[in-house]
Amino acid sequence: MIDIVFVVLAFFAVSGGVGMILFAQPIYSALSLIMTILALAGIFALLSAPFLFMLQIILYAGAIITLLLFIIMFLNIQSDNLPEEPHKKSTIVVGAILLVPFNILILKAFYTLPNKPMHILGDNFGSISLFGTELFRGWLVPFELISILLLTALVGAVVLARKDK
Amino acid sequence: MADSLLSYITLAMILFSLGLLGVISRKNIFIIYMSIELMLNAINLIFVSVGRYYESIEPQVIAMVIIAIAAAEAAVFLSLIVVMYRRKKTLNSDIFTVLSQKDSNE
Repeated sequence: MIDIVFVVLAFFAVSGGVGMILFAQPIYSALSLIMTILALAGIFALLSAPFLFMLQIILYAGAIITLLLFIIMFLNIQSDNLPEEPHKKSTIVVGAILLVPFNILILKAFYTLPNKPMHILGDNFGSISLFGTELFRGWLVPFELISILLLTALVGAVVLARKDK
Repeated sequence: MADSLLSYITLAMILFSLGLLGVISRKNIFIIYMSIELMLNAINLIFVSVGRYYESIEPQVIAMVIIAIAAAEAAVFLSLIVVMYRRKKTLNSDIFTVLSQKDSNE
């Protein structure tokens, strides 16, 4: 049963990724990316990370990609604004062949790990309380640094996007 | 199949390779941005699956940090795209070379 769920989610994730790099219009690519991200949220749930499952849907699909869709619609892109990509397909094929050895290297490294059952853990693993405890005990300084980074990005975005004098 | 770490890593590597292919083969700046997001997601998947393998919560915290950094990146990157699109009326990523030149007020 879990296997079927995993295969379906993996299929949606990969087909969303393939669609994303093949569509010419950015709006279709963004919708494919949303499909990939929602499928990955389901896979996070299979990996017993319920908090990340929620975070992925709310933050990634709900905030980041929606901002991207908003910007794409706001810019009102006509088809003559799109860049010409004459070598798109050939570059993808050549790049895919070149990436095979790299992938084999990574998979070989993980293949040496002993096999362990990966069923969904109960007992609060990945729950918000455990997550928050770990975040505020071991990761307090990175957490504060993220706040500063987000503030800096906010100021930077406002400064960049204001109208020219 | 959902029981082995290797299948999750395989999925993550396929998604990472797709993202890398998008970055090297497309010229549309939006697609390049989305490919970067896809690569960040693939890395998140590797972190979470390895965390499940060792039954540790720390990789999930790292994944949350990556999501927050992606949010910060989205704000700056998209506002930069809006500014460049207003000036040049194209989505070609080659126009971003003007950012590295001293005299960019053409």
